[in-house]
Amino acid sequence: MKSRSHITFISILLTACVLNALAHAAPVRRKLAVKAGRIITIAGKDVKNGVILIKDGVIKAVGKEVEIPWDAFVIEAKDRVVMPGFVLAHTSSGLDRANENMPEVPFISTFDSIDPISTFFEDSLRDGVVTMLVLPGNNTLLGGTGTIVKPYGRTVEAMLIKRYTGLKISLRPSQNTSRMGHMQRFRRYMSDLKDYLEDYEQKKADAEEEKKPFDEEIDVTKQPMVDLLNKRLTAFVYCDRAADVSKAIEIKNTHKLDTVLVLGPDCYKAVGLIARSKLPVILDSQLVVWETNEQTNEEEMKIIPMIFHKAGVKFAFQIDTSQYGRRYLWYQAATAVKYGMKRQEALKSITLYPAQFIGVDDRLGSIEAGKEATLIFLTGDPLDAQSWVDQVMVAGEIVYERAKDERLKKLLEPPLIMQEPKDTD
Amino acid sequence: MRNCIILLTFLLFVLAFVAPGRAEIIAVKAGRILTISGEPVENGVILIEDGKIAEIGVGIEIPEGAAVIDAGKSVVMPGLVDASAAAPVRGDLNEQSNEITPTLRISDALDPQSKALKRIVQTGVTTLFVSPGRRNVIGGLGVVVKPTGKIPQQMILKDEAALRVVMDLDSTQGNRIPRYQVPTDFYYRRPGTRMAIIWMLRKSFFDAQQQKDSEQTEDPNLAVLSAVLKDEIPIHVNARRAIVIRAALKVADEYGLKLILQECTEGYKVAGQLAERKIPVVLGPFYYYPGSMGQYREGRKVNWNNAGILSKAGVKVALASGEQAGAIDILTAAIFAVRHGMDRDEALKAITITPAEILGVADRVGSLEKGKDADIVVLSGDPLNVTTRVEKVILNGKTVYKID
Repeated sequence: MKSRSHITFISILLTACVLNALAHAAPVRRKLAVKAGRIITIAGKDVKNGVILIKDGVIKAVGKEVEIPWDAFVIEAKDRVVMPGFVLAHTSSGLDRANENMPEVPFISTFDSIDPISTFFEDSLRDGVVTMLVLPGNNTLLGGTGTIVKPYGRTVEAMLIKRYTGLKISLRPSQNTSRMGHMQRFRRYMSDLKDYLEDYEQKKADAEEEKKPFDEEIDVTKQPMVDLLNKRLTAFVYCDRAADVSKAIEIKNTHKLDTVLVLGPDCYKAVGLIARSKLPVILDSQLVVWETNEQTNEEEMKIIPMIFHKAGVKFAFQIDTSQYGRRYLWYQAATAVKYGMKRQEALKSITLYPAQFIGVDDRLGSIEAGKEATLIFLTGDPLDAQSWVDQVMVAGEIVYERAKDERLKKLLEPPLIMQEPKDTD
Repeated sequence: MRNCIILLTFLLFVLAFVAPGRAEIIAVKAGRILTISGEPVENGVILIEDGKIAEIGVGIEIPEGAAVIDAGKSVVMPGLVDASAAAPVRGDLNEQSNEITPTLRISDALDPQSKALKRIVQTGVTTLFVSPGRRNVIGGLGVVVKPTGKIPQQMILKDEAALRVVMDLDSTQGNRIPRYQVPTDFYYRRPGTRMAIIWMLRKSFFDAQQQKDSEQTEDPNLAVLSAVLKDEIPIHVNARRAIVIRAALKVADEYGLKLILQECTEGYKVAGQLAERKIPVVLGPFYYYPGSMGQYREGRKVNWNNAGILSKAGVKVALASGEQAGAIDILTAAIFAVRHGMDRDEALKAITITPAEILGVADRVGSLEKGKDADIVVLSGDPLNVTTRVEKVILNGKTVYKID
């Protein structure tokens, strides 16, 4: 009897220990209050010395006069600028290979190809990009469906925000084909699909008439295209040249598709057409192009974001991680501001607008009550090159701290042994 | 009396011709003048006479009749100097008929109408150094030019400015059968290894040394190399990896050469040695990680703060575009150098006076001082701000670019 109570006591103690350890291993704080030097809410005006109240990873309140509950854990960020994490509306990085060889593969998904270990995701987190739509590359006509992820997690499942989002249609002909053949291939696919669907509906109607059970499902290889026609998927149409834009709009009108235009640098020449279509636009990472004026023979700088901005087009930026400057979304926004775009609009183009284009603006893209607490803590103004992302919070959890970024340290600090042995001769 | 009249008429004639030339005085007023050579001048004036800076400072009286450029609250700094720019040349930059071609001059191939020149001037660059391509061990003589003028002679600031030597494996790259072409022995004679590159270099300088002593320099190639040995012409050596840099130092020691290192991606590893030997470096192009497979294969390792580490160790650092036309402009390169840890003032010097000194044209360009060329960039704000724009570029006292 005595020994038994002993065992019970010990087991209770052990359980308590284990529970305690577990609690420490995952310090999920239910209530947080971020005291920030400046909050760039995007949704409204900036708040100086404000508070963001977070409960279970969701923003409860933002403002100057927010009362901090007694049980909230306070994060002091007096010398930091806090803003919503950047959103990348289109990328094909982080995949082992971005393009399938076959031209019509709407049924494949980047979900199967995302490589969580890719430095792209690590760099994204470091650069403040917290949400991205990973779509197949621009080499295939019907390229496959995309996946929205956060650049944090060891598996794709852990990174996942939304699966099966967006379908890539590229109007750039693949190697050794012409634009004529490329468009013809698309039209044939769509007419075949229409026949197939009519056939399917007929079978369904017949079965109903004969009162037989009908359990035939739509061909999985065609399902994404059917979903595209049903507007369950959005078409991300890549236009390489300005001439492709009119085709993209034609496709959109013919098939009544939800469309986002992904533009090459040349497409600014079709700006009027794009503005009239009122379609959302994702710009190429190259924001400044040179052109020779044929009359004066002078070299002219074309500032692409300004051309679109003046035409009233809403757009999001892309990045190119291999290039200085273009690597960062904030730099893209700063480039637009440099040439005259309004600051607030430029900041929206790297947060709220891309979130809208990929359909996650109900959760991300601004700091508002009800949205997810996915924030970045900057050491200064987001458009200043001397500012760094100091901390990243994803759904109320700090997932990146610059002070603990060993890789960044290695990239910036001198090697341990500066002076190498001299030659002895 | 009659003689007198003739003389007077003659004098009047002379005056009539000379007078308009004399009146060419321009005054640039700016909110902030970054002279680079000294402290910044607030609300200052720069007087330009005949394309040269005549006066600079606060409270300078603007002479009557001078054309005034009021830059308002803008920031003014000297025209930028790109010590390794894309050559304004049509066609190939690589003479592949021989791997040792010291007598070739890029100045013979300059194209004043080049698009690259018209573009680079809009980024604030008013002096650039260009040299033959990278496919030769000794490529030829580079030239310092300004992006102005209708004929090459008007562009040239300093010819025979430096001899190009490539110790990276680029100079072995042409050594293969051209695709879809008939293979010929012609392409098999290049060096294929680093051993051979260094051997060829050593042999060239050895021959020149022999010649120098014998006082009979009939071979023009050797004449150029002898001039290098006599320190009359500096040599720019392309070396990216630390191992190549060390090899370059060794060869330099053997022949008493004065080096200027180009690219120097792994310079941070040998910063101490470079500082000790007072070897200046011209950095660029810049990348975050080795970009292509070739760069991975070469084994280069990138430190983002290469410029900062080198300059902190006491090495003279210039930031350049690295002969890449599509690369970031050097003002942006300076912005990112500061982001990664370089000192602000050092970064500004690294795109103005330091490259001018390295190229041996610091008496003409690189800072805003009395007597120097009136090469001025007007900026909308602080030069190290991403949102700052180049508003105006003045070259030799003439406005060559302005935004609408």
